[in-house]
Amino acid sequence: MKCEVCRELLEEYLDGELAAQDHEQVDAHLIACLECSESFAALSAEQEIFARYDREIEVPPFLWTRVAAHTVSERRAPQRRWFAPSFAGAIGLLLIAIAFGVVYLRSRHKTPEPQVAITPSQIQNPDPVRQSVQSAVPTHRKRRPRIKVITKQPDQSDVLSSDVAYLDLEEQETAKHIEQSKMLLRSIKNVQISDNDYEIDVTYDKALSRRLLNENVVLRRDAEMKAKFPTKTLLADLEPFLIDIANLPDRARPQDVREIKERVQRTEIVAALLDYQDRGTNNR
Amino acid sequence: MTGAFAGTLMNSSADLVTRVCQGDADAFRLIFERYSRPVISFIFDMVNDRGLAEELTQETFVRAFRAIHTMRAETKLSTWLFGIARNVARESLRARARANTHVDLADKSVMDLSDDKPVPVEGLLSKELNAVVRRSLAALDEDKRLVFTLKVMHQCSYAEIAAITGFSLAKLKTDLHRARAEIRKKISPYAGVGYEV
Repeated sequence: MKCEVCRELLEEYLDGELAAQDHEQVDAHLIACLECSESFAALSAEQEIFARYDREIEVPPFLWTRVAAHTVSERRAPQRRWFAPSFAGAIGLLLIAIAFGVVYLRSRHKTPEPQVAITPSQIQNPDPVRQSVQSAVPTHRKRRPRIKVITKQPDQSDVLSSDVAYLDLEEQETAKHIEQSKMLLRSIKNVQISDNDYEIDVTYDKALSRRLLNENVVLRRDAEMKAKFPTKTLLADLEPFLIDIANLPDRARPQDVREIKERVQRTEIVAALLDYQDRGTNNR
Repeated sequence: MTGAFAGTLMNSSADLVTRVCQGDADAFRLIFERYSRPVISFIFDMVNDRGLAEELTQETFVRAFRAIHTMRAETKLSTWLFGIARNVARESLRARARANTHVDLADKSVMDLSDDKPVPVEGLLSKELNAVVRRSLAALDEDKRLVFTLKVMHQCSYAEIAAITGFSLAKLKTDLHRARAEIRKKISPYAGVGYEV
């Protein structure tokens, strides 16, 4: 093999892409030719530099959480959420439209007469000023007493209760999640770490944290979509703690646990979770 | 390796794909554990931006999940994922170019490194060498960077690169050779050798 041919094939030889016959010929040539073998050594040295190239980039722990939120969690979510929000919303709008339609039709045709509830204050108006004004108005323009139209509502028990139950379920789910997270963070906050500890077994806390983390992402996104901003903020604050605990090795170094413990204490996240529970659903 | 990583090596990629198609969320997590690092590295090589690489890696896996049922049985999962990552990275680079953002991936200072002054490898901090490689990569045009990254950084075969990029064998060989030549100019002082191939 001539040197020019060998050099042309050298990169493919290095890449392991040569056919067996060519490979053997280059092998043989490199043994015999000093110049070509130096060229190959240079290529190999170059390769060595690329092999040592460190991008200093890691897969951040939250990346799976984000990916899961758009993939596997979405697939799971519809099982409990098939009713909402689009379907429930459509049903709700339909019911409102029916109610308005009934009111409108009854007020136009006046038959049958709607049931009217008149309050005593409307029959005997205690306000003398108003009474005098009303009496001054021509009869045909007399203000009609304020009436409350009691329309017979369609039986919505089977539909609305499901919707309400669903909302309750979600609230309950968030409340349960907050409770479990609070317990987890408390256990971290209260963990006793002595200087003699070599490692701390956090297997259970880690597994729990991983589960709570997945849950947290879904609930946080739900809260954001439904404009429950206090809930969303709290869950966003909670997430870094869950990530850190989830990423501990099963047998964690005491200083790693201590760092999380101190951060839990410093940020008062447990107090924030408690406060959220105390405020009840109205302030969420 | 502990926890979720423990099962990674026990499952073939084909098994994992089948399981994901059957609705097994854990299988998709294992795919993520196995391929997220090469994918994020590849994307980082292409876009040279850490934050963007994370976002695009996320996008790659989301797209992969949504399309995994369309993956053909004979396709290698890594090749398929790199193909998606390549499209995602390319779309991002094009979008940046369209937005008239001046994407100057190449640091001009890298040109100064290509003088003839010999710099011994031993005396060079690995961090500096990393920076040189990174800037040299960024200075390549997109096709050359793509082929070079896949071959040299990720050890893909020519056949795999052709499948990922859609390039002909001839084009990818030419691009690879030129990419090597361009990068060589920048890093040869650090390799401590002067040569021509």
